[in-house]
Amino acid sequence: MTATSAPVERGLPRATATRDLVAAAVLVAILIALPLSGWQGNLRLIFTTLLWTTCSIAWNLVGGFAGQVSFGFAVFYGLGAYTAAVLITAGHVNPYVAFLGAAVVAAVASLLIGLPTFRLRGPYFAIATIGVNEAVRVVMNNLEALGAASGYRVDEIVGGKRVPFVMEHHYLTAVAIFAVALVLSILVARSRFGLALNAIRDDEDAAADVGVNAFLHKLAAHALAAALVGAAGGAYARYAAFIDPSGVFNFNNSVSILLMPVIGGLATIWGPVIGGGVYGIIQEELVARFADLHLGLYGALLILVILFEPGGVVGLARRLRTALGRRRAPGMPLPAGGVKA
Amino acid sequence: MTAVLEVRGLTRYFGGLAAVKDVDLVVPEGAIFGLIGPNGAGKTTTFSMIAGSLTPSAGRVFYRGRDVTRLKAFQRVRLGITRTHQIVRPFRSLTVIENVELAARYGRRPPRTAGEAQRRALEVLEFVGLGAQAGLSAAVLPVGQQKLLELARALATAPDLLLCDEICGGLTDAETRNVMDLLRKIRQNGTTILYIEHDMRAVMSVCDRIAVLNFGEKLAEGTPEEIRTNPAVVEAYLGRAAEVGAGA
Repeated sequence: MTATSAPVERGLPRATATRDLVAAAVLVAILIALPLSGWQGNLRLIFTTLLWTTCSIAWNLVGGFAGQVSFGFAVFYGLGAYTAAVLITAGHVNPYVAFLGAAVVAAVASLLIGLPTFRLRGPYFAIATIGVNEAVRVVMNNLEALGAASGYRVDEIVGGKRVPFVMEHHYLTAVAIFAVALVLSILVARSRFGLALNAIRDDEDAAADVGVNAFLHKLAAHALAAALVGAAGGAYARYAAFIDPSGVFNFNNSVSILLMPVIGGLATIWGPVIGGGVYGIIQEELVARFADLHLGLYGALLILVILFEPGGVVGLARRLRTALGRRRAPGMPLPAGGVKA
Repeated sequence: MTAVLEVRGLTRYFGGLAAVKDVDLVVPEGAIFGLIGPNGAGKTTTFSMIAGSLTPSAGRVFYRGRDVTRLKAFQRVRLGITRTHQIVRPFRSLTVIENVELAARYGRRPPRTAGEAQRRALEVLEFVGLGAQAGLSAAVLPVGQQKLLELARALATAPDLLLCDEICGGLTDAETRNVMDLLRKIRQNGTTILYIEHDMRAVMSVCDRIAVLNFGEKLAEGTPEEIRTNPAVVEAYLGRAAEVGAGA
């Protein structure tokens, strides 16, 4: 009995979120300090990277923690973008309120999509989300009221004058949305809710057999993720000042959103952040120079991850740390399956 | 004694095949009630319908007089009906104690705080003898301990009616005796147990009352002594088991 307390404490990575929250606070503080300190670097690049990373973190809640692989997240990005665009342009709503509206609309849409699709499992769910993505894109492509395929121009007019473009405002908006996503991800991972999502990924029926309402949990994770992605889409619409269905509802966006957390490390807190950071920077740099090469590169990267390190960048880092730790202490016995009772 | 569980006319078809046909059961409060039968007799199908993970084709399930036939598995857990699985199904990405904590937090009497959930989980783990394994990944446990984890997880939901599905399958004699002792203690703590088991010695030693299923229908019901001497049961089940025993 005396030996029981030690392994319990060691084995509870969920017990405290403090370390991750501190790391998140430091990261966000650095991001805020960049423009304020008169840094002359590429704020646009970091802005788009932060929006991508927000989507990556959001997708991980559903695809990582809960194990429900969705190919339909561009729907939430696009709906968020259009909602914010219409609220700002036609509704003359304060843009920050419009971003909240974008989050709400995306979350409601996620419930409507989740109600039928979450009755499906595994690959069937994934295929259904592809269909939803394409259906929504086609509808938006033909919706005359919102410009159909020619897109929608975002005009922010206050007191009869167009509001001037200030990159720092867009940038800080993206930092704020990213910060909310990151903190939510940390809190979810350490909560009862996050524990249940993990259980649903491992074995949905067994989770139900200990009292977890799996369907409701999947819907809730989906709505939370959609709200974050919708807000990111809204921030993009205001920044870009022009959106069209083949841009924001593009199926490639759905694939990109899925790739980032897979490459970074599924069902971890920092994996989607690393994946989003790597993706955002490479994507923007490559797209500018070699049009479609980035898809080929990401395809190759995905194959490498699946073949050699399903845990992504975070999994690789953990493995390296274990290997190095082993080398440092050669006398230590390896942890084995059968620890004596 | 009042009935904790009452099953009336329970039937389940898979295509044209009746896996369970018109089964009636009454499980009194405080019993360890055995459900036995040869392979394919419909034991696990019956169980799944009582637990709520499988919808019956016909028939009703009553829990303490309340019709729960239409309730889903997670709702029945919250009322106090929890099952274990014959083939262990631990949450492999969680640690042993997280498996149990989750069950405590979603079960019948969820604790208010995470700390309390953890304390209760550790208590349950120590009760089944897995206290030292609490921090390990559930995936690395040997099968015998995974069976105990399955039991611990079910117990953590604070069940009033525990459905135990072949918990001794694949265990050594010593492990089986340990599990029998645990079941007696669980009953002493006020939980009624419905117990499916293939291991006849285990069932006979621990159950107060036994129902026998054969080809999806109830063949007999009675005390262990009555079941042991029932000619139909001997022919359907024990006779064959005895031959297997003699051959080994």
